[in-house]
Amino acid sequence: MTAVMEAAPLVTEQRTKAPIGRLLRAELRFVIRRPRTLVALGMLALIPIIAAIAMSLASSTDVGGPGQQVIEGVAALVTQNGMILPVFVLILALAMLLPMLGTMWSADALAGEASTGGLRSLLLAPVSRPRLLAVKAFGVAVVSLLAVTILAVVAILAGLLILGGTGMLTMSGNTLPFWQSFGRVALLTLLVTIQVWAVAAVALAVSAATEHPLVVLASTLGGIIVFTILGNIASLDWLHPFLLTTAWESLADVARDPMPTDGIATAVLRAACYIVIGYSLALAKMSTKDG
Amino acid sequence: MGDHQSVLTSGKDTVTTVDDMTIEQEAPAASAAGAPARLAARTRNLRKVYGKTVAVDHVDLEVPVGAVLGMLGPNGSGKTTTIRMLLGLTTPTAGSAELLGHKMPEGAGWALPEVGALVEGPGFHPFLSGRENLMRCAAAEPRLASRDIPRAVGQALERVGLSAAANRRYRGYSLGMKQRLGLASALLLPRRLVVLDEPTNGLDPAGTREVRAVIADLHAAGTTVLVSSHLLAEVEATCTHVAVLHQGSVVAQGELAELLEAGDTGLLVSTPDGTVAVDALRDNRIPAREAPGGVRVDLAATTAPDVVATLVRAGVAVHEVRRQRTGLEDLFARLTESSSSGSQLSEVDTFEEKS
Repeated sequence: MTAVMEAAPLVTEQRTKAPIGRLLRAELRFVIRRPRTLVALGMLALIPIIAAIAMSLASSTDVGGPGQQVIEGVAALVTQNGMILPVFVLILALAMLLPMLGTMWSADALAGEASTGGLRSLLLAPVSRPRLLAVKAFGVAVVSLLAVTILAVVAILAGLLILGGTGMLTMSGNTLPFWQSFGRVALLTLLVTIQVWAVAAVALAVSAATEHPLVVLASTLGGIIVFTILGNIASLDWLHPFLLTTAWESLADVARDPMPTDGIATAVLRAACYIVIGYSLALAKMSTKDG
Repeated sequence: MGDHQSVLTSGKDTVTTVDDMTIEQEAPAASAAGAPARLAARTRNLRKVYGKTVAVDHVDLEVPVGAVLGMLGPNGSGKTTTIRMLLGLTTPTAGSAELLGHKMPEGAGWALPEVGALVEGPGFHPFLSGRENLMRCAAAEPRLASRDIPRAVGQALERVGLSAAANRRYRGYSLGMKQRLGLASALLLPRRLVVLDEPTNGLDPAGTREVRAVIADLHAAGTTVLVSSHLLAEVEATCTHVAVLHQGSVVAQGELAELLEAGDTGLLVSTPDGTVAVDALRDNRIPAREAPGGVRVDLAATTAPDVVATLVRAGVAVHEVRRQRTGLEDLFARLTESSSSGSQLSEVDTFEEKS
């Protein structure tokens, strides 16, 4: 060991980096092994099952009294149309649950790591700041994709097994066969994931600016709530094109036949803008952040 | 600036602990890069301001290659802030920091792979075991090949005595074990420079001895060590060089032995004939005064052999003659208490008074 040390020059002329693949793998293993991630993913998997059971109960029990007609009506639509469940569950979860999870992972990625000192050991290794941000963003993006995929897969299974039927009754009135509706669900999974990435990118920018994960969670979720409220005020319609949340409703277009693409394209474009802005701010904050 | 230059040169001359061969082989590469050959780390006029608080001001720190430099200072004296700027974790408000010849923080990618550091306590995750935490650190180490990681982690755990607890969750570790794991992450691979910020925090006496042994091993292997501490005995036991920080400034730095001698020109003579001895010395114009069990002689104007000769000629019974060693604690107290006046520090390297 001594011989090696003496032979090496004092000034290192060569810049070395840890292989990026190894860094990404380590980050992914770390994020997915976290107890809170496992709990969140487990709870997420329960949601479609609960929804499916609730729907099948509503359609099979004879409650009587006022409203029974309506319940039977909705339930009749759902039964034998299991593939509508993933669409229903994904759109529902995008309203609050999935953005919250994306925000949580972003909060842990930088602010959480900064508060435990884990960020410091990575910076000292060293991992350069832009690289560290890329590694962290990758971890958040993959675990977000995983969460949405779990939700979709469990919803498909629950739809097929509990509600029965393999088709998807569209909002236009016709029924799509299984493989076509499977394609629609896969598309929706991707679209929802992109929206979660947009929220997570903004959360990552906040995360780079603070050491308190709770600040990230509160400000990002607060932002979503404010956006939703602003989106419901008609006199502020000039503002609506700038709000991320405005486009979320149009994602339900995947359950129309033929599928209109205008709203979906706008939603993707808007999310892309938020992703670019979020990561740019995060990078700017990151390069001056105290490790 | 001229002053700085001369001080720097004298600083270089004091590097006597370094293996000569090491320097010979290192010098060409260092001078090629236009950096001082014998300094593993150095700061120039370093300043850091947080809001209105000046954490560090005019810090000129020099860490010679091969030295074990102890950074001493009371809490809040700027030790950790200086280390953080040296490691590129924080950008200085003014001045510059160089690590292994690279300007920080820009040169982090070049310098830091060769640097192991434990700063402000270890940053690990409670839900992972000690080994898994280290594996995660190792994955980010540029100089560690993927296939060597398990072996390097095992060796580092062995070295800090954590092998038995390696697979337990970090959550259940005691403060001392956490500190050891932090030390292990700094020792994952052979380094040119190891920076330890308060490494013995929370360690029991056995752990403290082990840290000393680790530092001694590193020193023997030619690694430069920068260790900060507020424990004087710790620094005195392990360091070859000392830098004393007080209120954000370096009030003294240099070789430990030199610093200890610098303020100390006294000779203690044990004799039953105290009065006779003092009279004899004063007749020869050597300042002396009675002390318990003998006399204390001021060596400012004379040498020890002269004193002994004078005493023997006067027929004084001399049992023992020894130099009065003040110890680091006295030195530290003197430096940190008198730093506001700064007048007594002229024998020692003092930078801030000159600039």
